[in-house]
Amino acid sequence: MQLLRRPPKLGVDRATDGDAIRAADLGVRYDLRFTKKTTIRSSIGQMLGRGEVQKFWALRHLDLHVRRGESLAVIGPNGAGKSTLLQVLAGIIRPSEGAVEVFGHVSGLLTLGAGFDKELTGRDNILLGGAFLGLDDAVTHELLPSIIEYAELGDFIDAPLRTYSSGMRARLGFAIATSVDPDILLLDEVLATGDANFREKSKARVIDIVSAAKAVVLVTHDMSWVTEYCNRAILIERGELIMEGDPADVVELHRHNQEMARRQTIEEAEKAGLDPRIVRAR
Amino acid sequence: MSASSEVPAAFRNAAGNPGPIALVRDGIADILSRRRLVRYLVQADAHKRGADTLLGNIWWVLDPLLQMVVYVVFVSIIVPRTQPDYPLFVFSAILPWKWFSASVTDATVSIVSQDQLIKQIQFPKIVLPVAATTAGIVSFAFGTVALGLLMLFFSDRITPWLLFIPVIAVVQYVFTLACAFLVAAGNVFFRDLGNVVGHLLRLWWFLSPGLYSLASLDDIRFFREHHILTTFANANPFAILFEAYRSVIYGTATAKPDGPPNMELLAILLVASVVFLAFTTMVFKRLEPNFAKVI
Repeated sequence: MQLLRRPPKLGVDRATDGDAIRAADLGVRYDLRFTKKTTIRSSIGQMLGRGEVQKFWALRHLDLHVRRGESLAVIGPNGAGKSTLLQVLAGIIRPSEGAVEVFGHVSGLLTLGAGFDKELTGRDNILLGGAFLGLDDAVTHELLPSIIEYAELGDFIDAPLRTYSSGMRARLGFAIATSVDPDILLLDEVLATGDANFREKSKARVIDIVSAAKAVVLVTHDMSWVTEYCNRAILIERGELIMEGDPADVVELHRHNQEMARRQTIEEAEKAGLDPRIVRAR
Repeated sequence: MSASSEVPAAFRNAAGNPGPIALVRDGIADILSRRRLVRYLVQADAHKRGADTLLGNIWWVLDPLLQMVVYVVFVSIIVPRTQPDYPLFVFSAILPWKWFSASVTDATVSIVSQDQLIKQIQFPKIVLPVAATTAGIVSFAFGTVALGLLMLFFSDRITPWLLFIPVIAVVQYVFTLACAFLVAAGNVFFRDLGNVVGHLLRLWWFLSPGLYSLASLDDIRFFREHHILTTFANANPFAILFEAYRSVIYGTATAKPDGPPNMELLAILLVASVVFLAFTTMVFKRLEPNFAKVI
């Protein structure tokens, strides 16, 4: 592990040894002008004065510290900024504010199951995936048998990806993402995929990675996984860090907030004269 | 893990953008470090289009020939007297144009069609338009097979100057790549760019001396009276490229090829294309950090 450049904003009082991820005052701003599929026509409309430039902070003022060997769960309601956080950690999105520092190789098929190319065989997808992930060709070929075995694809490995079931695709994606032996593994809602058998297997794999002094950052709605296998959790709501700490406590607060939000929705609906049963059923 | 070629430690912040030269340098480094990814993408593309099957190959050879037949029939109807050996005359322009138009069309969607991947993995997006342009070389190669077949009918025009085709193709590749970067990045922000590009390409083809020779423009009085139009027509990159291909494949109306193409014009076009490529690389790298957010 090597520190390439010292981040300017991080305090010196923090230990650098054993850190996997450090983020200081992290913020990601979206320009809503471009996030909806824009067209030349609509842009000309905007230039002519119709519609205002909207900016939206998906994440703001987030300080994060993940040590090696830790398994951090990121929980929060839909649209809270959890996936955005993973994308920043993976280097896919550059922060608009603050700084993030990652020590080690990051791997994360953030939303597994997409695969690389539907027309190619599973084998070709592994090679293509390795090339996208930046692995050396020799390494990918070396990993090939173990990935095929782990993904339990059998003869399907030489069939085009489009013939795969969603479970098979998820298995292949998980196998590729974890086979590269990353220092930091980023997972977004992947544990819910596959059958019970594979879920057990993937849990075992994630625990292996954590115990090998590698860090895992995991976005999930599976609260039992959070309390059982994560040693720390953060709660994010509306792009802000609400709570950080012991998984059980964070999950409790999350459940509480969810319940409050639900009640509020019902109250508002009642005020607006809607039938609360319909709202409850949602 | 030592075997991986990824950067082991990364620091990112909101600090300002690198300068233009750094952007171009990064772009070149991206492409060189991900050569294998480009190769895989090109192979995948060829595979999908059936280039690795016998029947697929036949289609790739037939395609430019059929297009040539359409134009020969079409032009013969509206123009009473065409160039001698007109099929070969037209084909020498169809061959490079198919490569260019297919590359630019594919490059336009090369980024947006990989939206899932771009949101999941950090990789240099510049490899996608490079792969789209490079994949066009495969169809160009099959086009030269078609050219070989066609030349059997015009065997008196076969000369060693045909070997000059790859030199002209290099200039075309640089120019195409520059265009590909621009449309690929632009389409991320403006999703209807594909429509515009399609129409512009069609217009460009008819404005370029593909179905007619550059010299024949002098027969039109309007062109004779407005010299600026002739200047524009001559400055068109595809006027230079078509004339170059034609001079080694077809020759002139009365004579077979008897020398290299206009090397001076080709050299000027190459230099201009390299400058243009540096510019579009810079634009692409400047916009790249926003792709994952917008897409």
